[in-house]
Amino acid sequence: MTEISKFRPKALGRSNRRQFLAGATALGVGATVLGAPRIARAAGDVKVLNWQGYGTDEAWAVDAFHKATGNTVTHDYYNSESEMITKLRTNPGGYDVVLTNCAWNGLARQADLIQPIDTSKIGNWGDLNPAFRDSPLLNDSGKTYGLSWVWGITAVAYNTDVFKPAPDTLAKLWDPSLKKRVALRDDGIEAVSFGAIATGQDMNHPADLAKVKAKLMELKPNVAYIWQSEDDWNKQFAAKAFDISIYWSGSALRSKTNFKLPVGYYVPKEGGIGWFDGLAIAKGSPNADGAHAFINYMVDPSFYVEWETKVGAPASANPKAMAALPDTDPSKGLYGDEASVKRLQFMAPLTDKEKQDYSDLWTEVKTAFAG
Amino acid sequence: MRTRTNIATGLAQVYLALVLLFLYVPIFTMAAMAFNSSPLYELPFQFDLVWFKELAGNDRLIRAGTNSVILAVANTVIATALGTAAALAFSRYSFRGRRVMQLLLLPPITIPWLVIGTAMLVFFYWTFPSLGLSPRGLHSILLGHVALSLPYVIIVVGARLTDFPKSVEEAAATLGATPWQTFWRVSAPIIAPGVVAAALFAFATSFDQFVISYFLAPPGVTTLPVEIYTSIRKGFTPEINAISTIIIAVSMSIMLITARFYKFGGER
Amino acid sequence: MSPRQRQIGAIFGLTGPAYAWLAVTIFLPLSAMLYCSVLDTSPLVPRPSHFTWANYAAFFQKPFYLPLTWWSVLMGFWTTFFCFLVGYPAAYALAKRIKGRWREALFLLIVLPFWSNALVRVFSWTMVLRQGGLIDRLVHTIFPGAPTFDLLFTYPAVVIGLVHSYLPYMILTCYVSLQAIDDSLMEAARSLGAESWTVFRRVVFPLSLPGIVSGGILIFVPVIGSFMEPRILGGTKGATLGMNIEEQFTVTANWPLGAALSFTLLAIVLVIFAILYPVLKRRGVWS
Repeated sequence: MTEISKFRPKALGRSNRRQFLAGATALGVGATVLGAPRIARAAGDVKVLNWQGYGTDEAWAVDAFHKATGNTVTHDYYNSESEMITKLRTNPGGYDVVLTNCAWNGLARQADLIQPIDTSKIGNWGDLNPAFRDSPLLNDSGKTYGLSWVWGITAVAYNTDVFKPAPDTLAKLWDPSLKKRVALRDDGIEAVSFGAIATGQDMNHPADLAKVKAKLMELKPNVAYIWQSEDDWNKQFAAKAFDISIYWSGSALRSKTNFKLPVGYYVPKEGGIGWFDGLAIAKGSPNADGAHAFINYMVDPSFYVEWETKVGAPASANPKAMAALPDTDPSKGLYGDEASVKRLQFMAPLTDKEKQDYSDLWTEVKTAFAG
Repeated sequence: MRTRTNIATGLAQVYLALVLLFLYVPIFTMAAMAFNSSPLYELPFQFDLVWFKELAGNDRLIRAGTNSVILAVANTVIATALGTAAALAFSRYSFRGRRVMQLLLLPPITIPWLVIGTAMLVFFYWTFPSLGLSPRGLHSILLGHVALSLPYVIIVVGARLTDFPKSVEEAAATLGATPWQTFWRVSAPIIAPGVVAAALFAFATSFDQFVISYFLAPPGVTTLPVEIYTSIRKGFTPEINAISTIIIAVSMSIMLITARFYKFGGER
Repeated sequence: MSPRQRQIGAIFGLTGPAYAWLAVTIFLPLSAMLYCSVLDTSPLVPRPSHFTWANYAAFFQKPFYLPLTWWSVLMGFWTTFFCFLVGYPAAYALAKRIKGRWREALFLLIVLPFWSNALVRVFSWTMVLRQGGLIDRLVHTIFPGAPTFDLLFTYPAVVIGLVHSYLPYMILTCYVSLQAIDDSLMEAARSLGAESWTVFRRVVFPLSLPGIVSGGILIFVPVIGSFMEPRILGGTKGATLGMNIEEQFTVTANWPLGAALSFTLLAIVLVIFAILYPVLKRRGVWS
């Protein structure tokens, strides 16, 4: 019995518990002191809010930026656009640069979470593709709220070992011979968009949602997996859980280049989804100068070329950056293909009701798939 | 009679071995993949130490791991102490509101942690600044972890206490022991297994806690689960497997050494 | 101080810290969430909000909530059931048949898998259960002509993954209860002429009920709201209520709906408890 008291921490004795709580509180206080965020930040630090591993946090880029401007860069990440808004709102003055998708920039602006960009501080401004740069999705009342940075495509990726010759339609996904060989992304908006494209409707505001739902329901026998992240996709594709899927263009190229997976990609005849991202400056940014310098660097060919060739990236909104890519780069071929780009419908902002309806529709479809 | 007991013991050992096998199959797989060269868990297996080398250079992951351990230890200590006290009160005394208080332990384990995390974030955001505290920080994370561990501790210790033979305490009292002595020398050893089990759960709850840590961590501070879960978007390389394997190996060693030298099972 | 006052002091002193902690970190924030659930817009949006029951009504109006909830509850039931089936004998074996240092060592080994990261663990299960995975290869090494073993993306795979994640809870709570049962009680019963099975049924099992029930609670309740294991192991078969609740926070930013669904889930759990309570009370589990 006496051996037990050797092991038993004093915690259980009542008076000892008091000492104990004191010690634990000290630990907690210590942790607070260590972890307490300093409101006054190191001079020349740029705080960026973005998806993890999405270009802005590349170690070599941060280094180069630091050497050029003396600013350091620290990152915080989000896992969904909705979370991005929450983080902005609960951290006023906490961020300098934030990545906003074209469909979300307007929302952030209306919620008063981002501030206008002083375009005179953006050296590369004149080089940017006007289609993206001047888009009403990123500009309002003559002011720019998002610097168009990259754009990309969501379309069809397939296993080149399985499909010879390569397919070229969206309808292929519904092919009865592809039982349990198809994967979709777990995103209601994307699902509805493709259902709309497949039924010949406007992908952002389809007139006949019931038709979209019916079309998606028809996919039930073919769908094997519903993926959530790039990593998820890679692992399941490598394990041959599916052979054809809706996927992002940049990710598909990365899977091919980095992971040596047999991935092919095409924009279906019926159409595909286009999207672009804009770098915004958070309201109350403590280091606005640094923020402007950073986003300018991001659209600079020197950054983009290294990002694309080293890691793999979506297309740059700066045509000069695209032109600077080596001719063998697969991105050049994909994004330069005018015919494919013409077939794209670009993502637009949706009302809350639309988002909810599409999400509900997708839940209904998923429930049916599971039944 | 002897043979029957031996057979029974033999069967028991075999069964436990099978259960342990089931519990450790994914652990072995996870460890195996830490030594596999494929970044996508592809077979056939090719031995390679590359992930451990990458891990050594991955400051962020190592820092996150250290933060997790510190948090988990603090969490375990606090939650076990507070939870055990509450469980004791429930079993010792019968009072109005006891049922309600016990039922109040259900919301933290029912409601998805995502919801609780969001609620905490917003609540802290509204109230902490007026107290001079930042809503996000290690203090917030610790607050959250302990809160999530408390129901587990109270329920597990409570289970032990339900069977507690009060007569033993009474006997000790009649023999002249003071309440301190009764508690420390008589009760504590008896409830020890429950407390230890609760402490182990509390550690696990904190160590693998993603959601709360994620919402309440300030930029620049991460814990291991946060690193792992946020990197799934871009692809978590088997460095994650490497660090998980190291942690399991270290914990196992510590546990086995502790078990070797300390008896706490309440031998009967 | 009267004994009663001393008692009240003790009660406050013992439960105070824990419940104060819970109040600040859980009850108050959740109350705010409860309030949020009857609003029609998210509190973070600068628009005026109004009182509405619509979010709770949605549970009955939208066609997918009832099937999703039913599946989630069923999943909780199966997981708890198998955890009991597998875990109780293990706890019994450990508590009654293993002696000495081995007991502590095994006790700790059972908890250890808990300390690994849940996501990595679940992914490891995919490697074991899928076609071309561990079991498939093992089967084919021994029986080369056997059909392919592919359990991934099926309902059983989800249950296996969940049971694996939650089994230690059941084993440990049952162990803690069983170990408290004095061996002399069992010997006394036997000396009175009872068979081993009767001893178990009339003495051991009832006394270990608190452990079983605690384990059951700690498993059933979280499993109902889970969505990670179902998704990764179940593929399209892994649709759950938890998945939908998560979407309200990450996709549609519809916090009121997400909050309402969470509290509906809580209500369902309470209802289940209310049904089981009389049974448990009779068995003397809840003192």
